[in-house]
Amino acid sequence: MSDLEQQDLYAALLHEMKNNLVLMSITLDRVPHCGSEDHDKPLDEVRLLCQRASERLMQALFIYKNQLGGPLLNAIDAYSVEDFVAEMALQADSLRSQLRIETEIGAEVPPIWFFDRNMLSMALINALHNSVAYARERIRIRVRVEDGMLCVAIKDDSDGYPPHILKTVEEDKPLTSNGTGLGLRFASIIAKAHTNNGRRGRLCLRNEGGAVFEIQVP
Amino acid sequence: MIVSPEARLVDYKAKRALVIDDYPSMRSAFKMALASFGMTKVDLAATASEALVRVKGNQYDVIISDYNLGDGRDGQQLLEEMRHRGLIGLETAFLMVTAESVYERVVAAAELAPDDYLIKPFNGEILRTRLDAILTKKEVFREVFRQFSRGNLEAAILGCDEIMKNQPKYFVDALRFKGEVLVASGEFEAAEALYRQIIALRAVPWSRLGLAKTLHLQRKDTAAENLLLDMLDEHPELVSGYDLLADVQVNQNKLQEAQRTLSRGVEVSAKSPRRQRRLGEIAYQNKDMECAEGAFKAAIDKGRHSIFLAANDFANLARVHLEQGDTKAASDVLTVNRRQLQESNEGKLVNAVVQSRISAQTGRPEEARNAMREAMQLKLKGARGEPELILDMVEACVKTGLDEEASELLSEVARNAHDSVALLDKAKRIYEEAGKAAEVAGILQKSTAEVARLSREGALLIQRGDFKNGVGKMLAAAKEAPRNPRVLMNTVWAILRLLETEGGDASMLGDARRLLDDATYLIPDHPRLGGLRTMLRGIEVAR
Repeated sequence: MSDLEQQDLYAALLHEMKNNLVLMSITLDRVPHCGSEDHDKPLDEVRLLCQRASERLMQALFIYKNQLGGPLLNAIDAYSVEDFVAEMALQADSLRSQLRIETEIGAEVPPIWFFDRNMLSMALINALHNSVAYARERIRIRVRVEDGMLCVAIKDDSDGYPPHILKTVEEDKPLTSNGTGLGLRFASIIAKAHTNNGRRGRLCLRNEGGAVFEIQVP
Repeated sequence: MIVSPEARLVDYKAKRALVIDDYPSMRSAFKMALASFGMTKVDLAATASEALVRVKGNQYDVIISDYNLGDGRDGQQLLEEMRHRGLIGLETAFLMVTAESVYERVVAAAELAPDDYLIKPFNGEILRTRLDAILTKKEVFREVFRQFSRGNLEAAILGCDEIMKNQPKYFVDALRFKGEVLVASGEFEAAEALYRQIIALRAVPWSRLGLAKTLHLQRKDTAAENLLLDMLDEHPELVSGYDLLADVQVNQNKLQEAQRTLSRGVEVSAKSPRRQRRLGEIAYQNKDMECAEGAFKAAIDKGRHSIFLAANDFANLARVHLEQGDTKAASDVLTVNRRQLQESNEGKLVNAVVQSRISAQTGRPEEARNAMREAMQLKLKGARGEPELILDMVEACVKTGLDEEASELLSEVARNAHDSVALLDKAKRIYEEAGKAAEVAGILQKSTAEVARLSREGALLIQRGDFKNGVGKMLAAAKEAPRNPRVLMNTVWAILRLLETEGGDASMLGDARRLLDDATYLIPDHPRLGGLRTMLRGIEVAR
């Protein structure tokens, strides 16, 4: 098999798996909660797993295409910040009904901002999945504008990030561990790909009564 | 549950949707998801052709289409076909679903973008938020769209300004639509300023493309070319940029560059039959027969089963083969596509002309003459032919001594394409080669003079407010030059102004409709057409 055929085959396989996961995800959404923990809890878990798996596949496809020379961002355009936050909240909400999802948009945030909606949401969903897995009671999605940057933060009431992760992100070292590490690396790449007027986006992690994952885009 | 405040006002029970996907399981998944929020009037289609049939018979509020459709067409082409044929209006929400995140880049600068797109995988709730957002936006723009489709362009512009002032969430959307309205109403300078304003906010691809287009429309082609070259350097995947750049280069007579530009465009996306055809035409003018052959073949291949395939595509390919001396290949074009060529008079005309040239080249003059006689008959019956094809006929007539017929045909080409240097040059060459160079100038001069006079007089009368007589002159000009797009558009405009101000009979409306269809057939992308079509629709609605 030639390299090109092999590449096509990889891409086709990833696509195929992704499509099947879409169908699986939609099918799972049809199973209603019934109020019994024995039923609802595993259902939520399996939904989350299904979404995480498809997110990972999306990232794999993205990184794969990027390695073949594809661009990092697809299309920066004007989007409603409010709609974007509402969508993120829905994503989290549909995953685990027991958690309280709160949203907060600062008064200084303009109604529209220029960003790559799909890529930014892929980067944030990683963090959401993490928070859904570790949060005790609530997740807060908070948006502010600080120093000309749109800051989208996902904050939970978990034990927070372990110190080694905070350190690697702060020092901007590549994360090689699997799981959380991959997601963070992806988020950092996406944040940095957003540029405007010579400024560059970034990823900030901190612990503040829980884990805070924040992406800033100029 | 978190919902944005305005969103849940959408009444899905009252809305009708069409879902287009080639996978049965995806179709039913969509149907289920839509039903979960009350949308039960849902039709399903598996292919683009099925979708077209559905759209012709129904008015949909929402169309959800997968980008990859099985029958060789994609969702973007389907959207373009639906809009070009006026099957769906601005009030219909079109949501594209795709597994390819790269599709966003196609959309980013597409002239006909869907209202939004959704990337797989997604869940039902996300589908709903996207639909909420689009349908709420449609509601906000309802009045603007209504004014636009009635031809009240000024009211539409005021409506956009209103939205920009009062609904900051839709500021950029209103700005973008205002740009389109300004272009449609011919206010290119204002449109240029608007696109510069957007670029100052952020140089998103569609704003740069919009700016380049307004520059091109003002004949500031050097500036447009530089802008597009920069943009394509940064975003080589923005296919519509190549099409515009090629137009800009043709305008400056840079045909070699235009060919290179379109070759690159075809490399990025080979799917558009119109891009392939354009490449073929320019390569043909550049005498690059190999490139022309490939492009014309691709145009036929990609255009199959769509409205974008015309009899002329077969003529183009056969002409290239004939010029390469390959009569066998030219003959194959006719054989392979016999069914399509027999479907219309235009097809039969192409068939007869090509057949005649093949016979002439293979030393069968009698058959050649018979086929040409048949072609003449078809022309008398009203079969339309592209100017290139008519010139083929002129050449055949000149060579066989049918001078009167030749001069008649040439005069038709000249009336309809009086500003095409390439065509008129070719006509001169044909006469020179036959040793009749002296005749050609007279024919050209005589045939264009009448159209020019009628148009000028018509315009003058209308300027003085005498619409009735002005329209009379214009209609006479359009009759003389039924394939001259500028004359046709001016006539349509005059009729519509007459109907608006003084009213008129139904036959006038019919004339406008027919002439506008003819103009659309000739130059589907011309920026004036949209405005005229909406003006016409406005008058139809008012009746």
